[in-house]
Amino acid sequence: MSFKLYNYVLSGNCYKVRLFAGVLGINYDSIAVDFHPGQEHKSDDLMQLNPAGTLPIMIADDLVLTETSAMLIWMASKFDSDNTWWPATDAAKTAAIVQWLGFSSDLTSTIGEARLHTMLNRDVKIEKALADGIVALRRIEAQLTEQGLRGGAWLVGESPTIADIACFPYVALAPDAGLEHDDYPAIRNWLYAIRSLSGFVTMPGIHEVHELRNEGD
Amino acid sequence: MVTEPVGLSNNLPIKRVMPARVGDTDIAVWRSASGVVSAWLNRCPHRGMRLSHGFVRGESLACLYHGWQYGCDNKCKYIPAHPALEPPTTIQTMAYTVVEKHGVLWVSLDGTPEIPALFEKLQPVRSISFNCSNEDVLSALAETTLTCDDGQVLSASDMQSQNILILDNPQNKPKLAVLFQKSSAANVTAHLLADNSWSIDGLIRISRWCELVRRRAEIKIPDNRRNL
Ligand SMILES: N[C@@H](CCC(=O)N[C@@H](CS)C(=O)NCC(=O)O)C(=O)O
Ligand code: FES
Repeated sequence: MSFKLYNYVLSGNCYKVRLFAGVLGINYDSIAVDFHPGQEHKSDDLMQLNPAGTLPIMIADDLVLTETSAMLIWMASKFDSDNTWWPATDAAKTAAIVQWLGFSSDLTSTIGEARLHTMLNRDVKIEKALADGIVALRRIEAQLTEQGLRGGAWLVGESPTIADIACFPYVALAPDAGLEHDDYPAIRNWLYAIRSLSGFVTMPGIHEVHELRNEGD
Repeated sequence: MVTEPVGLSNNLPIKRVMPARVGDTDIAVWRSASGVVSAWLNRCPHRGMRLSHGFVRGESLACLYHGWQYGCDNKCKYIPAHPALEPPTTIQTMAYTVVEKHGVLWVSLDGTPEIPALFEKLQPVRSISFNCSNEDVLSALAETTLTCDDGQVLSASDMQSQNILILDNPQNKPKLAVLFQKSSAANVTAHLLADNSWSIDGLIRISRWCELVRRRAEIKIPDNRRNL
């Protein structure tokens, strides 16, 4: 097995890793963690592994990784032989990708928080989380609009990168938090493009592109 | 009732569905595999699921919930729970008139499409939604200017009708057209089209300019006349 993942099915951050593994076509060991209601990620055992008390946690060779950005870079470097998802030798592209990896944690702290509130009743400043979530969606919409005017469909460059993987989950899950995609045509097209990637995997709230399947099934 | 622009054609590729609003009415607009566009009330006749969450299968739109499929004639074609049943023709979606012209999708709720005389050869730039009134957007627009690739400075004073704002020479050659889709007192969407004098950088400047307009329209903080 390529790595071990402490995993929770409803977590958008865990889904980044599951999605990227699907797209790269790699297998891994998944260890289900009872995040809710069990709070198992705060258990002694898992806090020893990740003092931040968050999921996912990845055991990758001798590394213990607790940041999804690090996990995506490790996975791309190790398993993407074409070096397109993380074009390590391209200074401009990698820098632009890291911008969006940083931005993806804003998505967790806005849309992700609002979603914890709506789905798990978490105590969150919901109005602020939603207002900031709209700001975040608009930033992605603006970038994708500009990329579209340049003839591209992805956040960085001409092909999908780990920037798209990192930003996809919480943008796609925004309706769980009450933020619909109606006002964001460029986002809708981008979500569709990612859902059409070969190896795409689903999670609750993010379904596959049905029309790509055969008629009648 | 006025015909509303609900989206740019290039944002609705074949086999895709999108949500839109005309006034208070939530609609689903979709394009079949062969290119036929339909606009329906965004409620599945079965249990009311938003049809814009559905998916296109060939010449039908399938509801995400229980998979009922509706054809371009608005009639229910297939009910997965009863595969042998020919659905009664009375099961149909509530359909509206939709027309595609000037690279824009126009919907009329009362069946009489009145599409404003626009100008040919404009290219789509983007759609953008504002959480404020149309008046707020117009007043923010009036305070901003936009520089063309050739250095000409456009301002909103050029021409204004109820639904369309044309920047530059209104007689024959607009450089930029802004079509307003009013959904409520607190929500407006604008669809932007530009002529072919704009470079890609120019089109990106238009996109950023409408973000600036939105910031000003929504916050309504007085500012000096700014230019991008
Ligand atoms: N820095 C982490 C953040 C991960 C994160 O916030 N994960 C959420 C689950 S999606 C979490 O574990 N939250 C802890 C909690 O809410 O108790 C990363 O991006 O990998
Ligand atoms: S609600 Fe649409 S098929 Fe049941």
